[in-house]
Amino acid sequence: MDHFPTHWGRPRNELDDQYNTFPLHQRPANHTDTFANGVQRTQQPIVTGTSVLAIQYKDGIMMAADNLASYGSLARFKDITRLHAVGTSTVIGASGDMSDFQHIQRVLDDIVTDEFTAGDGNSLGPAEIHEFLARRMYARRSKMNPLWNSLLVGGFQNGKRFLAFVDLLGTTYSAPSLATGYGAHIALPLLRQSIDPNPDAVTEEAAREILRNCMRVLYYRDARSLDKYQIATVTEAGVTISDTQKLDTTWDFAENIRGYGAQTQ
Amino acid sequence: MNSFADRFSTTGTAVEQRRIKEYVADEEDVSDSMWGSEAGFGTIAHGTPNFMVPTVPDPSAFLRLHTDDHADPSCRIKIKHGTTTLAFRYQGGVIVAVDSRATAGSYVASGTVKKVIEINPYLLGTMAGGAADCQYWETYLGMQCRLHELRNRERISVAAASKYLSNLVYNYKGMGLSMGTMICGWDKTGPAIFYVDSDGTRLKGDLFSVGSGSTFAYGVLDQGYRWDLTDEEAQELGRRGIYAAGHRDAFSGNTINLYHVQQQGWKFIGNYDVSEMHYNGPTGTAGYGYGVRVEGRSSANPPA
Amino acid sequence: MPDGSYERPQQRQFNPYSENGGTILAIAGADFSVIAGDTRQSEGYSIQTRYAPKVFRLTERAVLAVNGFAADGNMFVKKVKQRLEWYRHAHAKDMPLRAIARLIQTMLYAQRFFPYYVYNILGGIEEDGTGAVYSFDPVGSYEREACRAAGAAQSLVQPFLDNQIYFKNQTPAPGTNHPTHLPLPDVLSIVIDSFTSATERHIEVGDGLEIYVVLAKGRSTQELASIGGLQELSTRAEGDRMFVIRRDLKKD
Repeated sequence: MDHFPTHWGRPRNELDDQYNTFPLHQRPANHTDTFANGVQRTQQPIVTGTSVLAIQYKDGIMMAADNLASYGSLARFKDITRLHAVGTSTVIGASGDMSDFQHIQRVLDDIVTDEFTAGDGNSLGPAEIHEFLARRMYARRSKMNPLWNSLLVGGFQNGKRFLAFVDLLGTTYSAPSLATGYGAHIALPLLRQSIDPNPDAVTEEAAREILRNCMRVLYYRDARSLDKYQIATVTEAGVTISDTQKLDTTWDFAENIRGYGAQTQ
Repeated sequence: MNSFADRFSTTGTAVEQRRIKEYVADEEDVSDSMWGSEAGFGTIAHGTPNFMVPTVPDPSAFLRLHTDDHADPSCRIKIKHGTTTLAFRYQGGVIVAVDSRATAGSYVASGTVKKVIEINPYLLGTMAGGAADCQYWETYLGMQCRLHELRNRERISVAAASKYLSNLVYNYKGMGLSMGTMICGWDKTGPAIFYVDSDGTRLKGDLFSVGSGSTFAYGVLDQGYRWDLTDEEAQELGRRGIYAAGHRDAFSGNTINLYHVQQQGWKFIGNYDVSEMHYNGPTGTAGYGYGVRVEGRSSANPPA
Repeated sequence: MPDGSYERPQQRQFNPYSENGGTILAIAGADFSVIAGDTRQSEGYSIQTRYAPKVFRLTERAVLAVNGFAADGNMFVKKVKQRLEWYRHAHAKDMPLRAIARLIQTMLYAQRFFPYYVYNILGGIEEDGTGAVYSFDPVGSYEREACRAAGAAQSLVQPFLDNQIYFKNQTPAPGTNHPTHLPLPDVLSIVIDSFTSATERHIEVGDGLEIYVVLAKGRSTQELASIGGLQELSTRAEGDRMFVIRRDLKKD
């Protein structure tokens, strides 16, 4: 028995480091065995999408995502739709691994079809879709085989707005304005400033303008973003996902930037 | 749900569990727990409970990576630990004494832990190591002891109870359980103490101390232990042993819990504050601390 | 390494855990129990939301607070509620508090080798009408106590409670004794002060405060009358009563 209490509660590690000589911050990762390599899991995202933004406003919810799917630092696919309508009252937006997102789209379309064929007059609303996704994402993380995404789920049903987040760990939360990835750092403060005090005061036009502005701010600073984006709205009337829109940007200010790289004067 | 022990063991409770499961032809995982009242122990008919194990190549390395490590603050899951416990056998029965501090990393998570687990009126278990491991498995042991009584119309012996526990934890060897316990009781053979730990060690003996403060407790026990101690002397020795550990070991302290096992079963003697013992002692007249003995001998300790 | 070489092959391992901040706290009185938690959910330096409840009503007389990794916490509460519903169906009554405590132990311990990263505090009224608090570690060791703080600011709040509830390091005036249980208004003040102070000194605490108050059957609700933001949750006026007090905390 090891009498030193801080060693307790863990498997004995004297086999890999008998005298605790190995710096702990460099502790080796779990060893793999040949058989385990037979099964491949998403251990890191490959083709990725960047931020998704979403807000609540007077008539429902609005969501925005650009059309880029990156391959590392390469802007690989520039016509990818990262917003997806689920049924008639929900839209989801995805950042993270695009192949995992395509899997999620397929699964969601299947359950919507199943629900429709049941013909019982019930349909899945945004709250149900979000709950389903949260359970699925948590189950996959618990199998150490995550779906590598951060998803926003927005919708409008029975006269109420719904907007919530779920990520690869199964973490969920809800707020009047949400953003994933880089957007959570750069765009979210702007969104909170204009939305959170009173979402009901924001008109559709204003909401669209706020999102456009945030997409532009992101495009200026997020190296994995694109100036082409789409906006989805969910209101009483249902889901609409806009055609691709282009951001108008000006780079005049770049002329005056000093202090980067060789341009020191 | 998949159980590591289930998949890899060829002997022991897991196999028994499979056999019983086939016997009762019960295929549903949740069927018993659905009838809520058994609170998880409802699966007792199926042998030891099932455990969820992460699906990684090396589950025990996973656990090592995520549970607490003294030098690695990034391990976030801090598990409560128990610390100094002692028990000894003498002519009047068994004395069991423990401290009450639980630490999670360097944080004193609790100063009021019950480290003596009352398995039944004749059996006590002590808690050192993972608090949850000790609480859970000794509760489980209590259930098995009761089943033994019902099946055999007599109380389980201390030897059999301790062996049940050591066989049980041996099934999980290397997976990160941590318990260092003394199963103490009185059976047909008289007073008995068995030391059982999560490595699978099981030792019969007269005197044990377990935990990070055990070295200090042993020091006191070894100099004061005799077979023919009176009950008062024995209780004082146990109390004094835990006090010494509480005083000198950072992971031990707060209060002392003292139990006495006799032929008619165990008896709770009392709870004593370690600081109170240091300054005033159990009777309130003489503290265990050496301040009393050096009084008036130096300028730092002038006469009161 | 600056030269781009590594001593050994690097493998990125998926980390199934995260930490979402916040603090929870519970105090038991003679015939009541108070369970509270802030409502901020964060990850690293980002505030994910300003309202994510961490305290949940389980039965008419039991409340569970969870803290740690939010996804594990929500899943755990869901499973506990499910088991309690099964119990209701089987026995046509609510599970008693001490039984819920043992249930939580076995449910946590079932995940011994892949633990829930959750610190649980269970509060409520026992069958004998006394207020109770049970606290748990992530793998299920538990203990009945008079008060307990857990989470990000536990090391700020618990010493304060030790002093104010257990009267640690306080000497009573000659000829007097410390009370064994504090009255409800005192407890509520201590809870509110704990959270406002933790909000000042810990970045992961703030935004909102939810205080659940469970009163034993027949106890007067008088002391709650003047409290702002009070809402009653009990379904029956006889029996134990449950209230929630919602307040704002600083949002910076």
